[in-house]
Amino acid sequence: MGGHRARWIGIAVLVVAAGLIAVLAGRPSASVAEVQSPLLGHPAPAIAGTTLDGAGYSVPTAPGHFVVLNFFASWCAPCQQEGPDLVTFQFEHQLPGDASMVSVVFGDTLSAAQTYQKTLGATWPTLTDGNGKLALAYGVTARPTTFVIAPDGRVAAYIVGAVTAKDLDKVIAAAKATHA
Amino acid sequence: MSRQSGRFRFPLWIVLGAVLVAALVIGSGVLNSTPMTPAQRAAGIETRIKCPSCEDLSVANSSAQTAVVVRSTVRQLISEGRSDQQIEAYLVSRYGSAIVLVPPTSGWSLLVWLLPLGGGALAIALLTVVLIRKRRNGIVGPADAARAEAEFDVGASSGQLDARRQFLEQSLADAFAEHRAGDLSDQDYQALRRRDTARLAALDIRMVEADDLAGAGSVATVATVATVATVATVATVATVARAESDGGAEPVESAVAPPGSVPGPSRSRRQRFLMTGAVVSFGAALVVVVALFAANRLPGQTPSGNPTLSQQAQIQQSLNQAATLENEGQPGAAAQLYQQVLGQDPQNEVAIAQLGWLEYQTGSQGKSASLIADARAKLDQAVKLNPTDYAARLYLGTVLLDQDHDASAAVAQYQAFLAANPPASLLQQAASLLRQAYTQAGMPVPPAVPTA
Repeated sequence: MGGHRARWIGIAVLVVAAGLIAVLAGRPSASVAEVQSPLLGHPAPAIAGTTLDGAGYSVPTAPGHFVVLNFFASWCAPCQQEGPDLVTFQFEHQLPGDASMVSVVFGDTLSAAQTYQKTLGATWPTLTDGNGKLALAYGVTARPTTFVIAPDGRVAAYIVGAVTAKDLDKVIAAAKATHA
Repeated sequence: MSRQSGRFRFPLWIVLGAVLVAALVIGSGVLNSTPMTPAQRAAGIETRIKCPSCEDLSVANSSAQTAVVVRSTVRQLISEGRSDQQIEAYLVSRYGSAIVLVPPTSGWSLLVWLLPLGGGALAIALLTVVLIRKRRNGIVGPADAARAEAEFDVGASSGQLDARRQFLEQSLADAFAEHRAGDLSDQDYQALRRRDTARLAALDIRMVEADDLAGAGSVATVATVATVATVATVATVATVARAESDGGAEPVESAVAPPGSVPGPSRSRRQRFLMTGAVVSFGAALVVVVALFAANRLPGQTPSGNPTLSQQAQIQQSLNQAATLENEGQPGAAAQLYQQVLGQDPQNEVAIAQLGWLEYQTGSQGKSASLIADARAKLDQAVKLNPTDYAARLYLGTVLLDQDHDASAAVAQYQAFLAANPPASLLQQAASLLRQAYTQAGMPVPPAVPTA
């Protein structure tokens, strides 16, 4: 009797483990997750501040093109993982009216962030956000966090974790389909 | 009814409950009519707001940058005259409801409040029922349980007694196996062993008595009952003891199981079964994790990983990888590598020229004058940095021919291109453009240019 029970318990454990593996294997990636945010579908908080070069920068309330807002730190491994893809994305969408990139330093020294962006080849504006107000306005809790803002100024996507250029392409295509 | 028994006795637990309620009410501060200062309000809100970048820590208890920003925002909003609810609503509108440590009392979150209360009430109700039943049945301890078993044995049939004996023997064997596997402490094992041994002895006496009564045995037989039963029980226990002293080489179940019974799998077999399952599951999970996190190797990247290279070697490797990506039709990825090279070496004319050429192609496809202008600036810069860079000359000549329709200027660049001894493959690809430029400029096509 006890032996049967143990066997059934073992089988149940195996079934649960197999189900768990199947669920995990079916996920697109463990490092990226498009999650829910109270900001989704709502007007994006104002993007304005000082860049690493010391210049002022702001994004219009309705930018007229997609804006990818990326919160990062130079020391964070997923940020380093997604960095090259962001440069690729920026190059592929650099035509006027397509999409633009804006980075925000989140939990990092400005000198380290500047060196990192330079090494990466990121030529887009990087805001310092020294008082953390921009991160709070967007409810950022972790790095990297990426927001996609639609041409009408509404938040179209909120992604926590390393993104790829293809992820962003899909998000923008979905946003275009939604707004079409 | 006497005066003594009829006197009203106020239950002590009611007094204790009243004191507890009064203490909670006073401690909660609901009776305090003094208005809170802004600092007190801020402190109260901060204890209810979760640090955005921490795990289960309020902003009041965290020194993380995000917590500091939230604290300053809370104080700023208080100074602006916002109510506590408005401040919490503002933070929820940014971070979501998870930012509030105290769950709301509406919607699904209400379950968080109700389930513990319901569970507690259910536990108290079950406990009460069990205690009442025990009290009614008079079974409140092990002695009562043993007495009840003895009463059961008295009225039991021979088959029931046999089954019970098998059960007790199995229980002894299980306890031994668990003790041997380390799942049962010495103290617990000895207690269980004493209990089951005593039960077995009592049961053996009962069985012999039953046999004797059934067979109308003599007084002499009855007199030997105790001896026989004791011998039988001692034999069983001795078997277990022998297995203990042998170190448990054989499964104990088989040592004490009654003849004819089918021994179940031992605990060690069960453990092996579960362990095998766990190892297989872990291995499968490992395969999935490796498959999920394994990165694609870039063109030109060695299979053994990334050995430490000098900066110049790294730059050359990146340029090679970028050229491969460019040829494979991945201009974005190639541009990223060129940008990366420029991050390390801003004056690298190869990266500048290739990036300019990629920008020109993108700009001409999208008819972006600004992008074409950027591209031309990069090509000019590359030519200035290295006048013998044949690729930069070829690209600049092509821009001049395509955009400005200036064949003479294009030919000047193409002459420099030819003078730099370009590879034959590139010369072959550029031949038609060169012939077009020379023809439009009214100049003879040099013999170095391959014919169609």
